[in-house]
Amino acid sequence: MSFYDIRILYWRELRSALRERGILVNSILIPLFLYPVMFWMMISAFSFVQGQQERFVSRIALIGLTAAHDELRASLADDESIELVEAPPDWSAAIQSGDLDVVAELLPPSSDAAGLGDNFLLRLSFDASKDRSQTARVRMDSKVDDYRAAWLERSGEELGLAPAEWQRFRTDRHNVATGDEMGAFLLGLIVPMMMVIMIALGCFYPAVDATAGERERSTWETLMTVSASRSSIVMAKYLYVATLGGLAGLLNLFALSLSMRAILAPMLGADSAGLDFRIPYAALPLMALSAVLLAMFVAAGMMILASFARTFKEGQSMVGPLYMVCILPTFLVQSPDLELTAKWALVPIANIALMFREVIAGVYQWPLIGLTLAVQMATVALCLAVARYVLSFEDVLVGSYSGSFGKFLKGRWSQRGKSTGEAS
Amino acid sequence: MSGEIRVQVTGLTKSFFDEGRGEVYAVRGIDFDCREGEIFGLLGANGAGKTTTLRMLSTILQPSGGRAEVMGHSVSTAPELVRRSLGFYSASTALYPRLTARETIEFFARINRYPRDQVAARVAALIERFGITEFADARVDKLSSGMKQKVSLARTMAHDPPILIFDEPTVGLDVLNALELQTMIQELRAEGKTILFSTHIMSEAERLCDRIAIIHRGEILTCDTLDGLREATGCRYLEDIFVKYVRAGESAEDAAETGSKLDAGPAFDAET
Repeated sequence: MSFYDIRILYWRELRSALRERGILVNSILIPLFLYPVMFWMMISAFSFVQGQQERFVSRIALIGLTAAHDELRASLADDESIELVEAPPDWSAAIQSGDLDVVAELLPPSSDAAGLGDNFLLRLSFDASKDRSQTARVRMDSKVDDYRAAWLERSGEELGLAPAEWQRFRTDRHNVATGDEMGAFLLGLIVPMMMVIMIALGCFYPAVDATAGERERSTWETLMTVSASRSSIVMAKYLYVATLGGLAGLLNLFALSLSMRAILAPMLGADSAGLDFRIPYAALPLMALSAVLLAMFVAAGMMILASFARTFKEGQSMVGPLYMVCILPTFLVQSPDLELTAKWALVPIANIALMFREVIAGVYQWPLIGLTLAVQMATVALCLAVARYVLSFEDVLVGSYSGSFGKFLKGRWSQRGKSTGEAS
Repeated sequence: MSGEIRVQVTGLTKSFFDEGRGEVYAVRGIDFDCREGEIFGLLGANGAGKTTTLRMLSTILQPSGGRAEVMGHSVSTAPELVRRSLGFYSASTALYPRLTARETIEFFARINRYPRDQVAARVAALIERFGITEFADARVDKLSSGMKQKVSLARTMAHDPPILIFDEPTVGLDVLNALELQTMIQELRAEGKTILFSTHIMSEAERLCDRIAIIHRGEILTCDTLDGLREATGCRYLEDIFVKYVRAGESAEDAAETGSKLDAGPAFDAET
């Protein structure tokens, strides 16, 4: 293997790649702009739906509301988003068909509450499967809550009781997590998954393009005639795929650290008060190193599979399942209770995803981080050894082998000792 | 034949394992040599073993048996040195579509270890020689097929190798481009290059080759100059010579299969 050759081949690959729209989009533009664009679209869609809902006039019918509750009726009538209508005889069917949104029915109080003369039960009938009906129910709830609060206060005053006396006790929620911790918790759910997806996506197209794509374009044979050794050629291609995968991961990290705070905070509105969505600077070097290791692993795996393909389409279908396998462990990280333990540190990809989550939260379990990195490096080494073994077979290297990786392993295992075209 | 021997092939064999047919021989123990300033033609029908032979010589494939040396380097033990000594051109060696013509030639010069300080001058000289100055900085995928062919030839010669292998180079070319290529090959011979040339087009072999090896079913049936072949067969046209050798070879093979005792070489009656 010659570093001089690898350098020349590597730059040739990169130069070609940066002129290919598909690679630019998947490895650079999507990781960099996906979040801002995706979140902007989400916010726009959210605002649009909310705006549409706010524009609805809720059609509410009141049944059995006596003059004693004129205050409630007046409050509903004053609200421009509510239209009081007459309840049709079959009002239940009218709600289901969407002609009516909510029916508020004044009923006699049930059980113990029947003791007091002016008690009543207000039943709100609505259709939970209809947005419009749900919105009307929420509006009605709010009006009824206000009415109840005023009613209670007035009744308390008549009895000479201050609110503190008749309320007896109140509940007050107090979150002891700091804004940093809450921000880290939310980021920890999103960032690891997106990083792994982006790295896998960043490797996917270049891995197929550098192997099956070359064969399809008939440049593979041209490359086989240059004086560089086969191992230099394969190494240059591998480094190129890993570079684009790593680049996708790092750009993604950069985009995340810039856009999360700016985009998530307005989306969460008042709930975001005090939350900090910044990825801690101290975590960035470790995350960058892990992203590179992950890219090296994914690149090796994808190249092994893609080297069996003879066309780009074949390559995509061969590498596709690995893409899914890479993403699968990141769903585990969505469980907030899962922590990086020695056992999890032995599981590639899941270990990196869990480690990402912990370092974002400022938790550094150095022995487990060390184990995670060691496992990741061992996995990369194993993949490279498999790649070397696979590409030592002439038919795979020159692209005359017809079949998948699984078929290859099965075939070579059953033909041990026979001539199989292994390069000597 | 004068000039140093640059390619020496002895008992070269290539077999593949096929699940259905078992061990399949594409090339069976062939021998030949090529010299400086010579155009050596491998003439054979499709599937005769021409491409496999040239692929072994250019180290794309590993021989299953026998020896082949290029500029004294074994294709089995020193493949990088062999590849540095030759340029390989075939219809299946395409160009990188996203590089420009200039970048393509430069890349092949560098990767084949042309002296670093002379690469720029070499690239400029090749661009001039092939008349692609106007398109030198255009991406290859934007070029016409004639231009691509010129760039392809230029990249084959980028590192100025002493040996050039052309595997059915005129396949898919129109008459004018094919003639231009043949002229180029003759010029290269005049410069002292060794040319290995495979074709199934008789007129091409007749026009270009100093010596011709007729290859059939992985075996070389004969190897001589065109005059030598004419003398041996009594035929004037290469097509007739080719058919005669192939038929005789097939008869000998059939006879061997049925158990007849025959001498190794093909036998035929001379005729004018």
